[in-house]
Amino acid sequence: MKDITLNIDGKICKGTEGDTILEVARSNDVYIPTLCFLEGLTPIGSCRMCVVEVENNPKMMTACTTPAQDGMVVSTGTEKLRDYRRQMLELIFAGRNHFCMYCSQSGDCELQDMAIAHGMDRVRYPYLYADFENDATHRDIQIDHNRCILCLRCIRVCAEKVGTHTLDLQKRGWNATIVTDLGRKLGESSTCTTCGACAQVCPTGTITLREFAYRGRRKDCDSVVESVCPLCSVGCRIKAYVRTGSIARVEGTAVNEPDGGQLCQKGRWTLPRSAERERISVPMIREGSHYREATWEEALDLVAKQFRKAHEADSDGVLVSSLCTDEELGLFVSLFKDGLGMERIDTFDGDVLRGFVKGFEPFRKQGVRPFTAAHKILDSDCIVNLSADPDEEAPVIASYIRVGVLRNGASLVNISCSPSPFRDITDVDAVTKTPAENIRLIEGLAGMVEALKATGGDPEKTVQVTAAEVAEKAGLTEEMVVKILGSLMDSKKPVFVLGGCLSRDPATVAASVNLAIACGAFFDDGIGMVPLVVSGNSLGTINTVLADEPWLGKKKLDFMYVYSTGLVPEDEASLSAISGSRFVVVQCPFWAHPLVNLADVLLPAPAWFERSGHYCTIEGERRRLSVVIPPKGEVRGLASVLKDLSKDLGVTPEKPKEAPCGNLFASEKPPAAARMVSLEEVRD
Amino acid sequence: MALYRAHVLVCKGTGCKSSGAAPVYDALKEEITRRGLDKEVMLVETGCHGMCEMGPIVVVYPEGSLYCRVTADDVAEIVEEHLYKGRLVQRLLYTTPEDKVKIPHYRDIPFYKKQFRIALRNCGYINPDNIEEYIARDGYVALAKALTAMDPEDVLAEVKTSGLRGRGGGGFPTGLKWEFCRRAKGDKKYVICNADEGDPGAFMDRSILEGDPHALIEGMMLGAYAIGADEGYIYCRAEYPLAIKRLGVAMAQCTEYGLLGDNIMGTDFSFHLHVKEGAGAFVCGEETALMASIEGERGMPRPRPPFPANKGLWGKPSNINNVETWANVPSIIREGGEWFASIGTEKSKGTKVFALTGKVNNTGLVEVPMGTTIREIVFDMGGGILNGRKFKAVQIGGPSGGCLTEEHLDLPVNYESLTAAGAIMGSGGLVVMDEDTCMVDVARFFLEFTQRESCGKCVPCREGTKQMLLTLEKITSGKGKMKDLETLEELALMVKEMSLCGLGQTAPNPVLTTLRYFRDEYEAHIKDKKCPAKACSALISFVIDAEKCRKCGICAKNCPVDCIAGDRNTPYVIDQERCIKCGTCLEVCPFQAVSKV
Ligand SMILES: Cc1cc2nc3c(=O)[nH]c(=O)nc-3n(C[C@H](O)[C@H](O)[C@H](O)COP(=O)(O)O)c2cc1C
Ligand code: SF4
Ligand code: SF4
Ligand code: SF4
Ligand code: FES
Repeated sequence: MKDITLNIDGKICKGTEGDTILEVARSNDVYIPTLCFLEGLTPIGSCRMCVVEVENNPKMMTACTTPAQDGMVVSTGTEKLRDYRRQMLELIFAGRNHFCMYCSQSGDCELQDMAIAHGMDRVRYPYLYADFENDATHRDIQIDHNRCILCLRCIRVCAEKVGTHTLDLQKRGWNATIVTDLGRKLGESSTCTTCGACAQVCPTGTITLREFAYRGRRKDCDSVVESVCPLCSVGCRIKAYVRTGSIARVEGTAVNEPDGGQLCQKGRWTLPRSAERERISVPMIREGSHYREATWEEALDLVAKQFRKAHEADSDGVLVSSLCTDEELGLFVSLFKDGLGMERIDTFDGDVLRGFVKGFEPFRKQGVRPFTAAHKILDSDCIVNLSADPDEEAPVIASYIRVGVLRNGASLVNISCSPSPFRDITDVDAVTKTPAENIRLIEGLAGMVEALKATGGDPEKTVQVTAAEVAEKAGLTEEMVVKILGSLMDSKKPVFVLGGCLSRDPATVAASVNLAIACGAFFDDGIGMVPLVVSGNSLGTINTVLADEPWLGKKKLDFMYVYSTGLVPEDEASLSAISGSRFVVVQCPFWAHPLVNLADVLLPAPAWFERSGHYCTIEGERRRLSVVIPPKGEVRGLASVLKDLSKDLGVTPEKPKEAPCGNLFASEKPPAAARMVSLEEVRD
Repeated sequence: MALYRAHVLVCKGTGCKSSGAAPVYDALKEEITRRGLDKEVMLVETGCHGMCEMGPIVVVYPEGSLYCRVTADDVAEIVEEHLYKGRLVQRLLYTTPEDKVKIPHYRDIPFYKKQFRIALRNCGYINPDNIEEYIARDGYVALAKALTAMDPEDVLAEVKTSGLRGRGGGGFPTGLKWEFCRRAKGDKKYVICNADEGDPGAFMDRSILEGDPHALIEGMMLGAYAIGADEGYIYCRAEYPLAIKRLGVAMAQCTEYGLLGDNIMGTDFSFHLHVKEGAGAFVCGEETALMASIEGERGMPRPRPPFPANKGLWGKPSNINNVETWANVPSIIREGGEWFASIGTEKSKGTKVFALTGKVNNTGLVEVPMGTTIREIVFDMGGGILNGRKFKAVQIGGPSGGCLTEEHLDLPVNYESLTAAGAIMGSGGLVVMDEDTCMVDVARFFLEFTQRESCGKCVPCREGTKQMLLTLEKITSGKGKMKDLETLEELALMVKEMSLCGLGQTAPNPVLTTLRYFRDEYEAHIKDKKCPAKACSALISFVIDAEKCRKCGICAKNCPVDCIAGDRNTPYVIDQERCIKCGTCLEVCPFQAVSKV
């Protein structure tokens, strides 16, 4: 890329070939007003606010769309431009309802800011008193079309980032409006995921999230803290707006990253709502059918007494959330595993993780990294969904898949025991009746792809197994198998998305990696696998609290220590094992039912917004969780609680031996060096 | 081919078809066969001759006699008199409107006399469904010449020499545009034909599509060869079913003759062509919107740069030209760029097809050399103003063209002169207006169209045209203020300069030109609350002259709102409060007692 130099308003500005005028201006701190432009979305040049004059060009050029050229002389603020911009704003204000005093976004509106900045003190044109609809049919999201300036940011984010294409434009000219599902009301939409991305990008009071409408303007907030969403394995970067000790709203931040700075419906709503949930504010001890308040001292004494007894009888267990940070997991490990030498320590959903770890192990041993950063789905030309339900497990992955298919033209193959969750956009939907057939299909495909590639894709040459045989074993039609093969063989860079349920059988995981290797699914950071590993820091539990073998529910225990973040429901198996234990300690920030009902002692814990630390995400990065609101009252950090507890138990915890995530993202060899393995290796 | 002593050409263009060409054709066929002439006389279906309102048109060669408004009943006489006895059927010949002279020869009809046909050279002469007839008129000679004796660069150079400019509106030099695309990086390139023809009243592209589809296809192939493209799209509006059908037939014949597909004429040149039906919105004719539409997206314009030549259809270098532009190319390659450049004016070469409509005697398509004056078009070819009224203005360039006045009558028509006068060449719409036309209303009419067709993407066009239209409506309804003229002008200039695409950039033209040349009419509407042309209903009233009224009561009987009172003894009077200004009384009064004031 060539360096270029522009003269913008007399300032010498450096840029790179391919930049727009706006990009060069911004990176050189020259301000050009924009309204329809939003970083990360395709620029459309519709609001005309960013017009500039370019020497020797009689036309007004929009800075957001015009490529910068070496030697360009650009003026951004001539009198004519300022007049035109003001006229543009006046026309917008006259066109629809922008009587700010009646708008929930007043004071938090880019249009209003722009009008103030441009000294628009009056509107010369008659108000047109448009009578468009106010669509209030959706529970959480409201669209008042009377305030829309048709910047199309919402449509673009919904198509380019969320991938649902829920929003579109209807009618023409002055009558044009945003429309949902080609004509339905938002509340009746079958495609909207309620992610709220549209509201986040709307520069006006058109699309608003009812819940946050009067909770505080963005710029009036006391603080804005960048953190990470702990809810699913993607770990989106977020910013939390704090006002009077509460979270007024949560938004995505990473505009220039693949997720476009967006959040899914989980993050958008669960996080801020959690700040309003009822807290466990003091330690509690069960007395019959109710709890009584206790001091930390009393509660921890009781815990230590019960713990010690059970530990001596080898009847103790610890279960911690995979939404804990690396640092918290480290504390657990150093006390329970290294200090007390316990083996019965695990995380919720430990089986899912173990399945992945076991299935990946033979490849890790080869020195390659058996998975890739989740957003590489966007670089793929063939996405294979292996028993995943991304909209449930990790909605941002679902967005990547939809965008990959609809915008980047990737093909989508579903190989699962259930129909594709992306029904309308799936090219091949191979539904097997049983998991056994499923693995036979994956194995068979891997064999065939390998053989076909070896013979240069010539099906005439002898191939060990035929499509008919694979079809027979998988209970599918031969035509279906041939179709899958076609998609895989046509692809230069397939990517495989592995659902959590797949890991029940590690051999299926390994078979899937074999298939990926056969297809040449190699990305710069690893093999093209995206495992949906449950929650924010599932990967971090791998080197820490994750047990090698399952123990939960195998034996009735005398003592169980449970640490939950209270953000996601606990699985049935864990709950029944907990309730089967004689004495249960639950440490949790919220009154999370039914878990808290099972406790003999309840200990307060800091909520996600009161903690800090790191998460290992399937985006291939360690991301930082920050304190959004400092803890209040009797809430104590985990380190101080565990310190007291270890004193009571008579152990001195050391630094944990292994760092979480330590070698997880490392690879010694390029992915292409990976070899397929025998599934027997995994099954043993 | 067998030799015939006479050819009878029946126009089956859309205009003649709708006035009844099909029964005429059938009757001719039957009659010729019945009289045993079918071995001597060949009956041919042709495309449009351009003089649609005289249709159905039948031309008989070798004499070149043109019969107007022929019906099936006339057929026996034509066959008997002309084909048998060699005598012209006088009553069906074209008659000049002023001096009622009958004109026996096609080429002597004033409408055709000053025409110079390049783009339309085959329209009306050949059967568009028969590739042989196209070939017989030197069709595909240019392609053969290019593929066998010329490099792509030679073809490009020839088109550059010709000085051909885009006929779709902008007038951009075609050779230069091709060159940009040829030089653009990329191994996949497209050529596109813009056959969306959305201007109301325009049908020049339709005539070529329906009358000579091979000229377009050959032109596109020459362009593809020069540019290095191997695939093409014709984006044709869905309202042109006949054009789409004929294109399909022509393409199938080309494929059969080895003129489309791989290794055309045994050379390395391959070309694949598709027809895409347009969605119907006017803005889809804008090139970037058109490409978005082909890609299956909503037809909305994109900002340029990047230009299609670098990033067009599916992001690949693409060259888009109008139907008429493409149709000129075969003649340029066949006859040479110098030849083409010898026609026309200094900067505008060749010819242009205009759709002449409005208050003139002869309406229809005319192809004239660039530089022909408006007077020649309106008075010589158009035969002057209808009903002997006075000429007032011409609106040139379609809905976003400008209105020119009497003082422009001797303006030689070319891109520069029109732009300087505030109009545009546009696609070649030419609407003639007489003294009964109100220029403020004309501006309002055209703006209403563009405003309605605005896609709504950019603020100046979406909001600006709406505000302009409201201001014009205010003025035509007599509620305007002098300050409105200032606002109107300011808005118009801003919308022109700030809009994203050509629609918004040209939509203010009718307003700006009428403000420039007919400001007094605007002022009359505002200051005197009068419409000088008596066309704006809010500013006129109907009155009955008591002297002339014979008290017959016909007006009262016909008034739809029953607001005229009177009786046998008292002259009738209109209640101005209740009058809706429909003008019925004026039409029905047998004694011209009603007048518009
Ligand atoms: C609103 C709008 C409508 C247009 N419609 C047409 C059309 O119907 N046919 C056409 O050939 N060009 C149309 N154009 C012009 C095209 O954008 C483009 O300039 C043209 O196809 C280029 O071909 P040419 O260089 O051969 O003229 C339109 C432009 C605008 C702004
Ligand atoms: S909430 Fe999300 S999915 Fe729904 S319309 Fe908005 S951006 Fe699209
Ligand atoms: S709803 Fe908001 S984001 Fe969408 S077009 Fe209207 S103003 Fe822009
Ligand atoms: S100028 Fe009009 S038609 Fe063109 S992009 Fe803007 S709104 Fe759409
Ligand atoms: S920001 Fe460039 S046109 Fe809107």
